[in-house]
Amino acid sequence: MDDRHTRKFQKELNAGLVALVLLAILDASSDELYGYEIAKRLQRANEGEALFKEGTVYPVLRALSADGFLRSRIAPSDAGPPRRYYRITKEGRALLGQWSGVWSQTRDFVDRFLRGVEE
Amino acid sequence: MNSSSPRSIVGYLLALRAALAGADPALIQDAVYDAEEHLRAEAAANPDKSEADLLEHVVRTYGAPDEVAAAYLDTDTKVTVALQPPVSRRAQSANLLTRFFSVYLDPRAYVSLFFLILSLFTGCLYFTFALTGLALSLGLAILIVGLPVFLGFIGIARAISLGEGRLLEAVSGERMPRRPIHPGASVGLGERILETLRDGRTWTTLMYLLMMLPLGVVYFTIAVTALAVGVSFLLVPFAGTAQRLGWMVSEDTGPLVFTPVWIDTPGGWVFDVVFGVVVLTTLLHVARGVVRTHARTAKTLLVLQG
Repeated sequence: MDDRHTRKFQKELNAGLVALVLLAILDASSDELYGYEIAKRLQRANEGEALFKEGTVYPVLRALSADGFLRSRIAPSDAGPPRRYYRITKEGRALLGQWSGVWSQTRDFVDRFLRGVEE
Repeated sequence: MNSSSPRSIVGYLLALRAALAGADPALIQDAVYDAEEHLRAEAAANPDKSEADLLEHVVRTYGAPDEVAAAYLDTDTKVTVALQPPVSRRAQSANLLTRFFSVYLDPRAYVSLFFLILSLFTGCLYFTFALTGLALSLGLAILIVGLPVFLGFIGIARAISLGEGRLLEAVSGERMPRRPIHPGASVGLGERILETLRDGRTWTTLMYLLMMLPLGVVYFTIAVTALAVGVSFLLVPFAGTAQRLGWMVSEDTGPLVFTPVWIDTPGGWVFDVVFGVVVLTTLLHVARGVVRTHARTAKTLLVLQG
């Protein structure tokens, strides 16, 4: 059928998930990461058609950072323009913990119906 | 994809700017900065790709300009709404008196007042910095060191304007850039200087820095005068009572004398308190209004429009 509905569905799903994935990536990393690096990690982790555009990563990083869940600093790079490096804060870790809980619960709930629940 | 896909980094950024047309200039500056950082990093990672190939790849992975624009508009609206302090219900009440006094519940009014007082200090700093930098750059222009001095001076001026923007956003709520202006691809010193000289924002930023001194003087004077008048009137009943009870005796200057005499009478005390409160409340209203106007003016001078 038409792609439009699928794309819209994906976009709506992504609205919250991008932030969750970004928090998880930064939490798993011992180093601070810059936007391009994060975008590339997402791209590598994903096989086939990209789930979201890399351009949507930056505004979410900025929003998380404005809310104090990430800390950022600008550092010059030897190859090209200066980069903004991000690191997760204590508040960000707490948020990630809560969100992971919500996510597992939601995933299990949806899966139960998709698998066709007995009774 | 889009039929008119951009074929160069500059073209992409222009298309992004166009897609964001009408949005907050500060948001546009941030979005363009992020895109430029990503695109230049992509270019540095794939040095053997032609610019057109690179752009095709970028549109596929990073997103077409209109998709990226939509992402920024979307996220920013949500964040701005979330960060805005709730508007007090009393502030919207129809009662004129409640509306007048509701300013005491607005944290922005106090920060605005603080900004007015602080502006004398920052104004002095900015003015001195701008004048010294300009004089130094002009004076050294005949020598070769004048050029890097000029660029360094403009660089610091832009950093100051970013900081001033953050301060004004915190004080007034007017959206200001969260990113500096992207330095762009590395070009020669001469070209960079020409670019800086041609950029209208260079001059409006300097104008803002110079303007802050006279404005700071006016702001400071208004704030301190009104504070002093308001607080003094509020203190008259206490001082008068303390003097009558003999709690306050000064051997050096003799007793306090109030002119006109009637302000230190029971009837006058009522007037003093009412008048003091009115002056202080009006000051908070004025502070809030002045800072709001100031922030809007600052935005037209410090942020590239459109």
